[in-house]
Amino acid sequence: MAHPLKGHFRKSLLAFAGLTLVTAVISLSLGSVSIPYKDIVKILLSRIPLIGEFFPEHTGPESIIILKIRLPRILLGLIAGISLSVSGSSMQGVFKNPMASPFILGVSAGGAFGAAVGIFFDLPWYLLPLIAFIFAMVTMLTVFFLGRVRGRTDISTLLLAGLAMNFLMTALTSLILFYSDPAERMSIVAWTWGSLSGTVWNEIWISLPVMVLGSGAVYAYSRDLNVIQTGETSAKQLGIEVEKTKIIQLITSSLLAAVVISFTGVIGFVGLIIPHASRLLVGPDHRKLIPISALLGGTFLMVCDAASRMSGEIWVGVITGLFGAPFFIYLLIRNRGETGW
Amino acid sequence: MVMIRLDEVTTGYKEKKPVLKELNLAMEEDQFIGVVGPNGSGKSTLVKCITRVLDPWEGTVKLDGEDISGLSRKQIAKTAAVVPQDTFISFPYSAKEVVLMGRSPYLGRFENYDEKDQKIAERAMKNTQTYRFRERKINELSGGEMQRVIVARALTQEPDLLLLDEATSHLDIGHKKEIMDTIKEKNEKEDLSVLSVHHNLNLAARYCDKILLLDEGEKHAFGRPEKVLTNSHLRAVYGIEAEVHEHPKDGSLYVSPVDKHVSSESKEKTVHVICGGGSANTLLKDLVEEGYEITAGVLNVMDSDFEKADFLDIETVTEAPFSSITERSHEKNLQMIKDADILLVTDFPVGDGNRKNIEAVEEGVRKFDKEVLLIDPENISDRDYTSDETASRTYDEIIDEEGVYAVKSTKKVFRALLNFSTGGKR
Repeated sequence: MAHPLKGHFRKSLLAFAGLTLVTAVISLSLGSVSIPYKDIVKILLSRIPLIGEFFPEHTGPESIIILKIRLPRILLGLIAGISLSVSGSSMQGVFKNPMASPFILGVSAGGAFGAAVGIFFDLPWYLLPLIAFIFAMVTMLTVFFLGRVRGRTDISTLLLAGLAMNFLMTALTSLILFYSDPAERMSIVAWTWGSLSGTVWNEIWISLPVMVLGSGAVYAYSRDLNVIQTGETSAKQLGIEVEKTKIIQLITSSLLAAVVISFTGVIGFVGLIIPHASRLLVGPDHRKLIPISALLGGTFLMVCDAASRMSGEIWVGVITGLFGAPFFIYLLIRNRGETGW
Repeated sequence: MVMIRLDEVTTGYKEKKPVLKELNLAMEEDQFIGVVGPNGSGKSTLVKCITRVLDPWEGTVKLDGEDISGLSRKQIAKTAAVVPQDTFISFPYSAKEVVLMGRSPYLGRFENYDEKDQKIAERAMKNTQTYRFRERKINELSGGEMQRVIVARALTQEPDLLLLDEATSHLDIGHKKEIMDTIKEKNEKEDLSVLSVHHNLNLAARYCDKILLLDEGEKHAFGRPEKVLTNSHLRAVYGIEAEVHEHPKDGSLYVSPVDKHVSSESKEKTVHVICGGGSANTLLKDLVEEGYEITAGVLNVMDSDFEKADFLDIETVTEAPFSSITERSHEKNLQMIKDADILLVTDFPVGDGNRKNIEAVEEGVRKFDKEVLLIDPENISDRDYTSDETASRTYDEIIDEEGVYAVKSTKKVFRALLNFSTGGKR
């Protein structure tokens, strides 16, 4: 059954938004200290301007647990899930290939190398996101400029350049691992599998506007992305500024991914399977695919992070893989024989 | 009104390798023009040029009176729509979604398809018999269905000009006719101008008011089908012998190639090559590899063509370095011409020193009745350095003789050779 929700886009969008919200509230209740839903809602509402007037301010330890520890973490999970899924949808569109991921231009390998450098040289912890971000962007821009052929962005050259830079940065990271002591090794490996623990509000204030603006830019060019699927020459002849669309999509999606992984470490698989799953639900039209991917990705990562918290902080990238890969295989089996993802 | 005007357009993909050369073209509104020519003659490049996918290096392209270098992609797409040879789409869009993409040039960034857009797409789908599978996935359609969807998308652009780039070459004869008939009807009833690139000469002859025959990026002929699809044009451009007939039913033209030879026989023929100055550089080797028996003359020792011939063990009449051809060598040369089946004359530079080679060509034609293939006789004057322009005059005299053929460049020699009848006396 292809695209079961295709004809019901608005309803699906609403339903998924509700699902995201419910998942967030349930996640807030999970943890070593159990807090009743009633209190969670009260604590949250008391913090909202105007409405908050009607609720007495909560000051107990529950309030601190919810507002200082759980809420930022869950929000970053939501933001990361949205950013990575939107980024993946865009990359798969630009590359016209369902195998493309947010990390195709080397963002994750570059970021991991940056983090490894930071850990190896004992940089203060608050500088790790910065150095990871710098290396992620440098790697991405190198790949991007290698892929420029006579003033145009050549997709197959870009793919190969990305492959090469991914290998190079991974090899450099392993070189650092080789010379590291066991504690540093553990930290580096942990970074390459990602974690949302210890999220602080400042991370939200940076990643939230990037997510909003980035997703907005990707969405603004989503119809152009549809037309590009029928071939770049044809798209030009249909009035699409192909080169501009590709540059905006590639740079924005890499930036989306780079910012979140700088805070969380590399969380794989979300940006690959969520666009897939969404495409199976609503079809390949990017105007529908991108919003649905965002909600599904945000929900998925919050669930995975909840699992991570409940299991003694197993790296969240491990959980996305453990959940995601079997689901992916299931979709694969179910859709064998059907053409086109 | 002029729909397309090309002024001295030169363009291509690689530097210094122009695909279109100083091309001029004026296409009137409401016309149905066919573009034909061999592979690599620049047909598809012309379509890319008209839609500004490829910018001209020199010259200007005007669409509906406006220079396209000043138009936005959307503006161009509102005037001209293209149906390419094939389209590959990796994600499963429905046929209707693909057709609606034809409205792209009319929509703002955040605008969605409205009622009117839907209506236009629907009408185009009904016109192309694609409406009934509008909800099917595009990558599950057959080649013919898919191509009709792409035609529907082009019509949804509501263009004044439709450009077909070998749009029907993958389709079976029934679908070919169906699509071309639909488009012809739009041309006649709705004043849609059509420029259609064809591989198939008969399809071009059948549907087009005028035909542009391209040869290596240059306009070889342009006009009504019966003026363009003639035996002599086809021989010059395609290197084929063809018969052009009138269709008994509707009077349209059709072309059928004539086989005068069996190719394996022709390869045992002896070809005498008159060359010099490096003009036969790769040709000699290729001829030997193709299995022809080769002789060559008269070449000065140390000439690069001589070195090539010597290396390939080709029997060659030679002359001392830097000296004029003597009577003795000239006679040997004539003997070889007499013994050969075909005389091949390259585009070598002629001076007073080797003018006897041109005399030999003339004797080959007049005295020995040989079949002669001249490479690029049109530009003989550019390489004629004789004091009295002997070479140019001789070429003028022999060019229309029976048995004398011409090709534009060395590239075309092989195809032309295959079409020589028997060799020797006619």
